[in-house]
Formats: sequence, C-alpha cells, structure tokens
Amino acid sequence: MDKQDIIKSFKDSLFTGLIALALFGPIVGLRTASKGEGLFITPQWGIVFLLVGLCIFGRFLININSFRRTEFKFISVFNSKLSSITEDKAKHFAITGILFAVVFPFLPFTDRYFMDVAIMILTYIMLGWGLNIVVGLAGLLDLGYVAFYAVGAYSYALIATTFGWSFWICLPLAGIFAAFFGILLGFPVLRLRGDYLAIVTLGFGEIIRIILINWYEVTNGPDGITGIPRPSFFGLPFKRSPDEGEFSFHTFFGLEYSTMHRIIFLYYLILVLALITNYFTLKIRKLPVGRAWEALREDEIACKSLGVNPTNTKLTAFAIGAMFGGFAGSFFATRQAFISPESFTFIESAIIVAIVVLGGMGSQTGVVLASIFLIGITEIFRDLEQYRMIAFGGAMVLIMVFKPKGILANRKPTILMHGDKK
Amino acid sequence: MSDLLSVENLTMKFGGLIAIDDLSFNAKNNQITSIIGPNGAGKTTVFNCLTGFYKPTTGQMYLHQLDHKVSLRKYTDFKIAHVAKVARTFQNIRLFPAMSVLENLLVAQHNELMIASGYSLYGLLNLKSYKEKEQKAVDKSKYWLDIIGLTHRADDNAGDLPYGDQRKLEIVRAMCIEPKLLCLDEPAAGLNPKESADLNKLLKFIKNEKKTGILLIEHDMSVVMGISDHVVVLNYGKKIFEGTADQTKKSKEVIEAYLGVDE
Repeated sequence: MDKQDIIKSFKDSLFTGLIALALFGPIVGLRTASKGEGLFITPQWGIVFLLVGLCIFGRFLININSFRRTEFKFISVFNSKLSSITEDKAKHFAITGILFAVVFPFLPFTDRYFMDVAIMILTYIMLGWGLNIVVGLAGLLDLGYVAFYAVGAYSYALIATTFGWSFWICLPLAGIFAAFFGILLGFPVLRLRGDYLAIVTLGFGEIIRIILINWYEVTNGPDGITGIPRPSFFGLPFKRSPDEGEFSFHTFFGLEYSTMHRIIFLYYLILVLALITNYFTLKIRKLPVGRAWEALREDEIACKSLGVNPTNTKLTAFAIGAMFGGFAGSFFATRQAFISPESFTFIESAIIVAIVVLGGMGSQTGVVLASIFLIGITEIFRDLEQYRMIAFGGAMVLIMVFKPKGILANRKPTILMHGDKK
Repeated sequence: MSDLLSVENLTMKFGGLIAIDDLSFNAKNNQITSIIGPNGAGKTTVFNCLTGFYKPTTGQMYLHQLDHKVSLRKYTDFKIAHVAKVARTFQNIRLFPAMSVLENLLVAQHNELMIASGYSLYGLLNLKSYKEKEQKAVDKSKYWLDIIGLTHRADDNAGDLPYGDQRKLEIVRAMCIEPKLLCLDEPAAGLNPKESADLNKLLKFIKNEKKTGILLIEHDMSVVMGISDHVVVLNYGKKIFEGTADQTKKSKEVIEAYLGVDE
C-alpha cells in the first residue's frame, strides 16, 4: 500500500463524512423541544460531530482494509463452513434440530419467556415454509402473504366463537378458507410476473386488512375479536377449576395446576403443524407438480411448450401456500385468544418474505436459520424498544453482505439417476 | 408419403406490418422440412403461429391424424404440446437451468406423471403404482440421454452443460412429449462443425427411428442441405420457392433473395 492509496482512501472517507453530515445534521442535530408556549430548536452539534467522526473513521478503516486485500478472517471461515453444509449434512442438522425442539420445553433454563419466543419463532418458521412454496419453489413473489394468515385467523375466530366448534374442526376449515382466498388472488395475477406480481399481491394484503377494519358487522372492525376459545388437550381443557363432573388437564393427569401446561401444549402444537408443513413441502417437491413449480420459476415459456398448464400450476402453488398460512393463522388466533387487524400489517409480510429470501430461496433449512437469526436477534435487543428494529435491519444487511444468495443456497435435485455419489 | 401438416393461406399481421403473407405449404410424415430465408423473413413467426404462441390473423393450419385432420387454431398455449402433440425448441435455448438434466426431461413428461400421481394424491401416499410410473419416466429419459451421450451428466444442472449439449438436451426434451411434429428453431446456431454433424445424426435418427415429422428453421446451410427432404424459402413473409435441397440450391429466386439482384 503506497502513499497514494492512503490519500485516496482519506479523500473517500472525507466524502463519506460529508454525506453523514448532511444526513445527521438535520436528523440528529436539530432537536425540537416544547417549552411552555411553543416549539424550540435545541441544537446538538456534539453528537453530530461524534457520529460524523465515527463514519469517517469507519470508512477509512474499510478502505485501508480493502486496499490491503485481506479479508476479515472469521468471515471467510464462517462462509466456508456454511457452504460445506450440503443437503446430506443438513439432514443430520435437521434431525438434531428437531430433537432439540422436542426436548426444549423441559430444559432447565427454559422459562415462560423462552417458550414465548420459541413459539413465535416456530410460527414464523411455519409461515416461512408455507411461503417458500409460493416464492421459493414457484418463483411467484408474494408480498401479501399476511392476508392468508389473517384469513386463517379470522375464519378460525369467527367459526369458533359463533358455532363453538373445537379447534380440530376449525383448523382445517380455516385452511380451506385461506386456500380459497389463495385461488381468488391467483386468478387476476396469472399473467403477471416479477415486480408487477409483487405490487398486486401487496395490494391484496392491504385490501384484506382494510376489509377487516371496515366490515364492522362481521369482523368487529378495529376492536377485533375477543374470547376466542383456547385449544383443549383431546377434550381436556387447561382450566384451573373444571366444571362439576368434568376433568381438566391437570386433574386428569393428577398434576399441580400450572399455566405452563398450556404454553407447552401450544408449543408442541405449532411444532407439529410446522413439521407437517415441512414434510408436505419436501414430499410435494419431488412430485410432478413440485417439479412443474420449479420449472415455472425457471422458464414459463418453455413450460408451455412442453404442455405444462401454467394456470393450474400457479393456482395450486398459491392455494397450498395460502392453506399453510391459514393454519398458522388459526394457531395464532387460538394462542392469542384475541385478534385485531393490527396484527396483520404489511411489515409481517415483509418479515416472512425476508425470512424466505435470506434463508436461501427454496431451502427448508435456510428458513429455520433465517427465522432464528432474525426473530432471535430482534428479541435479544428487546430492551432497546423501538431501536431493536435496527438490530433486525442489521441482521438482514449482514446476511445480504456475506451470503447474497441466502444462508443456504444449494439446491439438490428432486430425483437422481445415479444415486448419491458424495 | 402422406401429409402431416398443411398450412393454408396463413397471414399474420402486427398492426400495419405483415409478417407472414398468405403462406401455404405442406410438410410430410417422416420428412425433414426446412424453412429458410434471410433474417426477418418471418420464419420464427410461422413457428409461433404453429405452436400457439401467436394467433394468426387469417388462414388455417391442419395436423393430419390417421383418419382426420386437427385444426391447430383451436388450441392455444400449452394445449398445442399437450393435446395436438406439436413440440418445439427455441432460438435462444430455453432449458430450466437450475434444475438437473433428468428433471428437465421429467418436466416434459409432466402430464402423464400428473395422472400417474393421481394429481399428487397417490404420490403423497407413496403408492407403488406411482413409483413404477416414475421409474418408467426415468427410463425413458435415460433412453434419450444415452442417444445424445449425456447419461453421465444426468444429475448435473442443465445450465452447467456446454452450449452444444444444451442444444441437444433441448431437442430430446421436446422429444419426451412424444410429438407428432417437432419444430426446431435454429438448432445449429452457435455449434461448431463437429457438433453440427452430431446434430444431423440426431435429427436423422429422430426422423427414421421415431417416425416424427420435423420442421426446421436454419441458417446453417450444411445442416439444411445435408438433411432436408423438402425446403420452403421465405422472404418478406412470402413463399418464394419450394422444392428439394438440390432444386433450392439452383433456384434463381433464392439466390436473388440471399445475394440481391444485379441492377
């Protein structure tokens, strides 16, 4: 590295500083404070200069580093470790993961908070796996996936509160409703691809949410639906004091009453639902319809020239993806016992798409890793309140910088002629 | 030799532009019919009309079956391949690059496999009948891969194959739908002389052994003259000549179209 390089990188860092000043100056530097009869501006130039200085310094470090052409060592090690994860190793990894998930509620350090986070992560994993069918396999970028989550949650809530049917009847019904809405969305967007499809699906997600807010007679509008029945353990409710002549979960098994029973049951419920989603996806990927989805992602015109019906193929992808979204939605409704349109905003769709894309399109294990990483990091920084979204954004940037194709991007063929050579 | 395809008074207009102007020709069973002509003569448009990607403005196209004829106008889109059994390849190769060679060939057998898998139901239940049908489809793929010598690369991604192999793979993928008529759009483009010779062999095999009629668009005259039984020459959307390869070489109209006329 010679003198010129240093001067060049120094100039570049100064320019970075200029941009930082332009950004931080108004945003951080001018703070409005209300004192008595009006708003006053309190300048905070100290902090601005500190931030700008940090930017210049950081940029300078990066520049020098790139001139030296040395990489941060831990990153290359991390990268080579990840790329060595083939699907075979991923299988061991998956089995270990599932075993861990099964014993997780009984580990000594597991408390109520851990369980809640685990349930949340599992919900996102299930949603990610459902969306993976649409985005990862069929290549249809769906930015309104939360709509199906909402349809599932609301159909579960409405059926359960109106008719009083049990969770196990309402769950498939909610899935069917969501699948129906998937087909409903599918028809108008059949001819669209890429950006245009993304815009329409985004609009669809908003339409569903706005209908939920405004159709007061049915959905109770912004007030939401309360008193959604909790699921029971094969007919045994999780109640402290069961009705006369009835058992509840703890009296039947002769246990001390604990609120954890229900949490643990919910945990296993979502675990099983998620694993069913995964099993189904892995299975259907190897069937003709799964191959047709992937072929459609690769080249739609070639598909038509081979006699593959693109309409049916797309609609099944939308319907099946939506169905799993609906299942996840009914789980969400029964866990919360209260739902309102607030829970189904665009940010949810964005998070699910982020999980699928960052995990590596079409990779089932990738979805798990991305969910744990994104949701976990956001949870670790919960104490920072609204700033925890910075951690979320940071995690996304990290993955995109070091793994631009997603955490696990290697695809294994659905069928082999020569068997496993490796 | 009986007729396989008859095109009658086909006209295709894009706004004011007449891409094909009142074109009529026949293609026979077990023959290779070439369509040649300078760039922009409307060759690919003819293919797009035949394979359902365009709806012709006027005119008819018939595919002759044993005892009746089927109008190709009735079918659009994917049904041309599925019902009428007309397969095609593309000028710029359209494989499924991120899928394996074998998967490419299995997608071509999608419709049979879909029925065999009971629209996914039997497949999900792991029924034996589906497994057998799937194995049959794999065997059929292997048969074709053996012919083009790509069996050892069956599990590699199609996008990783060399260019010449991709061309051949696209042709056998089209053959996997068991077409009555195979339309090839410049299959020799970008091939070296050895690969062109291989291609000639493959096309002759398809014609002689599979009894499939081939419709060929090609600029490479070594391919056209070497294997064509019948040549149709287009210029500005009009048929200017029709005949055997030898007749075409000597035709004054064809030479004029390619080389220009002395003023």
